[in-house]
This record gives sequence, structure tokens and C-alpha cells, in this order.
Amino acid sequence: MAIGLLMLAGGSAAGMFGSLLGLGGGILIVPLLTLGFGLELRQAVGVSLVSVIVTSGASAGVYLQRNVANLRLGMTLELFTAIGALFGGLIAFLLSEQALAALFAALLLYVAVSLLRTGTAEAAQRQAEAGRADPGASPRFGLDLSGPGYRVRNLGRGAAGSLGAGVVSALLGIGGGLVKVPVMHLLMGVPLRVATATSNLMIGVTASASAVIYLFRGEIDPYVAGPTAIGVFLGASAGSRVAHRIDLRILRILFVAVLLYTAVQMLRRAVSG
Amino acid sequence: MTTSDRPDAAAGDRPADSPSTPGVETAPAARDGATGLEQTIARLLTIGTYAAVALFAIGSGLLLAAGGSPLDGGPRLDIGRVGADLGELRFDGFLWLGLLIVIATPAARVGVSFIGYLRAGERSMALVAALILGIISLSVALAIGTEG
Repeated sequence: MAIGLLMLAGGSAAGMFGSLLGLGGGILIVPLLTLGFGLELRQAVGVSLVSVIVTSGASAGVYLQRNVANLRLGMTLELFTAIGALFGGLIAFLLSEQALAALFAALLLYVAVSLLRTGTAEAAQRQAEAGRADPGASPRFGLDLSGPGYRVRNLGRGAAGSLGAGVVSALLGIGGGLVKVPVMHLLMGVPLRVATATSNLMIGVTASASAVIYLFRGEIDPYVAGPTAIGVFLGASAGSRVAHRIDLRILRILFVAVLLYTAVQMLRRAVSG
Repeated sequence: MTTSDRPDAAAGDRPADSPSTPGVETAPAARDGATGLEQTIARLLTIGTYAAVALFAIGSGLLLAAGGSPLDGGPRLDIGRVGADLGELRFDGFLWLGLLIVIATPAARVGVSFIGYLRAGERSMALVAALILGIISLSVALAIGTEG
């Protein structure tokens, strides 16, 4: 009973943290399950994929109802994230646990450094503004993906970025928003809010394309997936409700500390096996 | 086809006198709400997610009530047994059905989009949806083919 409740609480904390900082719960679920509960990395990745699909489904529904997410753009890009996820899901079973742990540590360090860098947001905003001023290219392949007030550009580069996001998602059990949001916002000229909502919409298809591989390879344990996914779902829901009351600067510093500590633990796991 | 005819046309493309929802935070150009296809997909995603979470809650509750632990190691997926487990109110059945719904919901969303775009005569977007379904099917086939 105690372990079940701990898993639920851990999932809630990961979901809330991720929701408050817009990172999704996946980035903390894998370390929680491997370092906290002793699961193998691939099993943790499988459970994390399930958790990110659950949280994405709930929030994407709201984003679509409010017409913030760009469905056409999301579907076009998820064609590439799904291909990436398919490859990533197959590659994940060729890599050793140590290699996966090292990759995850690198991801954690990357996210920690990104959160610490100041001024990036302003630079991104300026670039996006420039993108909006750009009249943009004509629709390619008969696809008009632009939305109200902005034109989508650099579809080819966006597709390449999405392919990479799919691989990373499948390998490490994260939603891939860390890659997709900057790609859409900085490269394709999509407003940050639309990029975030569209990325959220895409997570479901991306994660399910690789989750089936983990499922049939026996790497998704239903006993672990149940309480963890409920926890992440509840935490993410609570996080979105209290976000406006919390000082995100303090939270960001705390989160960076957690990420750095977790990265060190993952590196130790990568070295010691 | 004009932009406003699109099944998922942005709200900003529609006439300015469409009703808006007071108190709901939306993008400036999107205050009129979602279109038919988006509403259908939103409903599907919400129902799928909440159904899965409810099944997880029942399954996990039964597991813990029976004195089990999440770290006991669950059985591998045996689709043929899910129905029987549900009939016997076993936690395995609820947890597996929840997992299957979670993983199938995004594919169902693409299927609904495919039909929506096809009905609207949007061949390019229907093709995109069909290709995504093809990749998901390939993923399932490869997963079954390489089942460990």
C-alpha cells in the first residue's frame, strides 16, 4: 500500500513541477522510477510514455476547445515525430542501459542550462516577431498551415526538428516539447502559446507510436503505470490551477537543483551500470 | 474551398459577430471557440483520457486493496485475457484496458481527423492523416513482429 501511495505522490509532484514549468512530467518520471523505485530504465521510459499521453490528452482537449492549438500544423509535424518515434522505439532496444542513462543525464543537463540562461525568452520573442512580420512562403504541397495573425515558414526545417523530437521522445520517455516548441516558435514563426498548445496535441501520437513497441516488448508494467499515470494526471491538473499564484523564479531555481542532482545520479548509473 | 469552409478553420477566419466565451482565456484571434472537427476531437481526447484514468484508479485501488504492490511485477499483455479479467473484476483487466485506451486514443483522434478532412474534401490533410495512421500501424506490426 505504502509503495503505491508513494508512487502516486511522486507522480503528482512530477506532474505538478512539469506543468508549472511547461516541461511535462516525463522529464522527472524516469528518474523517479529508476532512482526512487529501482525500475530498469527502459521500463521507466515505457511508463513515462503512458503518463505523457494521459496528460497530453487532457490538456490537448482543452487547447482544441479554446482553439489555441493549430490542428493542421500539429498533424503535419506529427507525421515526422511519429516516424522519429518509431525509429527511436526500435533504437532504444539496441542501446545498453548505461548508454540510455548517459543520454538521459545529458538531457537533464541541457534542460537545466536552458532554464538558467536568461534573455533567451526575449531573443526568442524578437525572432518570432520577425517571423510574423515575414509575409512567409506560399503554402507547400497544397497545405495551408498558417493561423490567425501568423504565417508558418520553414516547413522543411520544422519537419527535420520534429523527426529529432520523435526520436528523443521514444528513447527517453519524454513528450518532446523541449525540442518541438523551440522549433515551431523560433524556426517556423509560430507564436509561443500556439506552439506550446500544438506541441501538447502532438505528444499523444508521438508517444503512442513508440509506446506500442515498449508494450509488446513487455516493458510497460501495468501495476506501475496505473498509480504513476494517475499521479502525473492529478499533479499536472493541480499545477495548471495554481500556476498563477506561484513565484516561478524560485520554482525554476529549485527545479534546476533537482535536475542537476538527478543528472549526477544518472551519470553515476551510466558509469557503474 | 475558402478558409472558412475548412473543418478546422481558425476562429479568427469566421465572421466577427460570432459569440465569444466571457472569462475564458483564449488567443486573441480565437475567441469564437473551436470548429466542429476540433470539438469532436477535443471530446474524444477528454473522454478517452478520463476513461483511462478511471480504469487506472479502479485497477490500482483493487491491487492495493488485495495487498499487492506496484513493484510486484505485472503480467505481460495478453489481449485475450483482458475481457475475462474484467468479467472477474480482477485488477489486471482494469489496468490493461486503461493502458490500451491510453495508447489507442491518439490513433482514434487521427482516424476522426481523416474522416473529417475527407468529408470536407481536404485531400492533402486527409492524406497526412492516412500517412500517420500508416506509421502507427507499422509501429504496431513491428512491435508484434519483434515481440520479446
